[in-house]
Amino acid sequence: MYGRRASQLLKELSTCEPGQLTSFNTDVFDQVLKECNAHHLELQSLMRKIQEEELDVQTTKNAEHFGAVIHHLSLMRNKRCLMAYMYNRAQIIQSLRWKLGPVLPQEIQEKLNFSEEEYFKNYSAALESYASELELDLTVDMVPPKDPYIKVRVLDDIGDVLLSDQSPNLARHSIHFLKRTDAEQFISQGLMEELLG
Amino acid sequence: MASSSEGLGLGFGSEDVDPSIAMTTDVELLKRAWRNEKAAPEILQFQHELVQRSREQVQLMTITVQMQLNIFTAFDLAVKTFCGGMMFKEETVEDFEQNGADPLTVSVYQMDLDRMQFLLRSYLRIRLQKIVKYAIHISKSEAWSRLSEQEQKFAKRCMDDMEKHLNQSVLSRLPYGYQSILKQSISSEEDDMVPQPHLDTYVFCKSRTPLGALQIADGEDPMDVLADFLYLFHYKSIRSFVESGQVDLF
Repeated sequence: MYGRRASQLLKELSTCEPGQLTSFNTDVFDQVLKECNAHHLELQSLMRKIQEEELDVQTTKNAEHFGAVIHHLSLMRNKRCLMAYMYNRAQIIQSLRWKLGPVLPQEIQEKLNFSEEEYFKNYSAALESYASELELDLTVDMVPPKDPYIKVRVLDDIGDVLLSDQSPNLARHSIHFLKRTDAEQFISQGLMEELLG
Repeated sequence: MASSSEGLGLGFGSEDVDPSIAMTTDVELLKRAWRNEKAAPEILQFQHELVQRSREQVQLMTITVQMQLNIFTAFDLAVKTFCGGMMFKEETVEDFEQNGADPLTVSVYQMDLDRMQFLLRSYLRIRLQKIVKYAIHISKSEAWSRLSEQEQKFAKRCMDDMEKHLNQSVLSRLPYGYQSILKQSISSEEDDMVPQPHLDTYVFCKSRTPLGALQIADGEDPMDVLADFLYLFHYKSIRSFVESGQVDLF
């Protein structure tokens, strides 16, 4: 059935966890593209037939005419599906830039196709140049601050550090009460986690 | 923050301040701009002057907090050196108290600063998200003039990046006549592939002044909109009032 493969792509998107990426489905994606070109060939041959018979396109609604319409609509639908697939994935990629920073972990990188990797880099660069023009880092302060201090658990041996108001020894698994602004850089690097509740 | 009527200050004693003045401090204005931007489906006018003033205020506050902290560290060092030699100087403590740097004040300052910065960043972030999402639509409509200069640059880059990405992965591989990023096919009369904000989405809103009878939906009786009542309307029906600042979104 026309358009079934394309809808598979979108089903795949909608069944996966929101905000998570699945591996780029090159297989189905290429098949849909092939389908598009097949539709186009059919469409062209039908159009030729209509022209050869020299019928008035506006008034005659013969089998060729409806065949052409079906191929045209199927092609458009496939295009919409492909675009939606890429576009929605691109939106997830954008949100990953906000959550994970400019470098993606290996296991996520593997799920992108080459164009998506490039897009991630470009998006990241655009964001950075905006931030540097404003001289304001927009990726911190993602949640409204409740308290200047937060409780954190250290996930890796960081050692002695000089913070703005204290110089604690940040040993692995130790729990500290730090200034949120001090802790944020460690949390975003994955060296600490915030203890909630 | 809610009551920081002196802007920089801690806002104690805000009871004495006339509420109409309290509503027009930069903090309140920024909060309102942020809330409106957050609730509106489309991008609103960029608040140049407000953002500029808020940033200056953040800088001032950062310096204040930093100064207080320096006094601390100086005091800390002093205590450490003097305690080591068993010579604790009482003047240090007095100096310290005269400078007014007690930990509580500093932490309240810090809190105020953090919240202000959050508001500012969040405001800019929400705008960026809308710009990325609707870049093509914005660039083709009057909304383009609502962006700041930096946002316009960002929007251009975003559009180019997205176009390049979609071109090389999908569009260039489609048959001739179906390669446009704006149209589904060459036979589409208008741009039917451009994501647009849904202007008929519902928003919670409050009016500052009575708006009188308002035609909210087609074919329905006009509704009397009173001041300070919470309503749930189609965004497009109150769009012009949001632009003029008469209606706030929530």
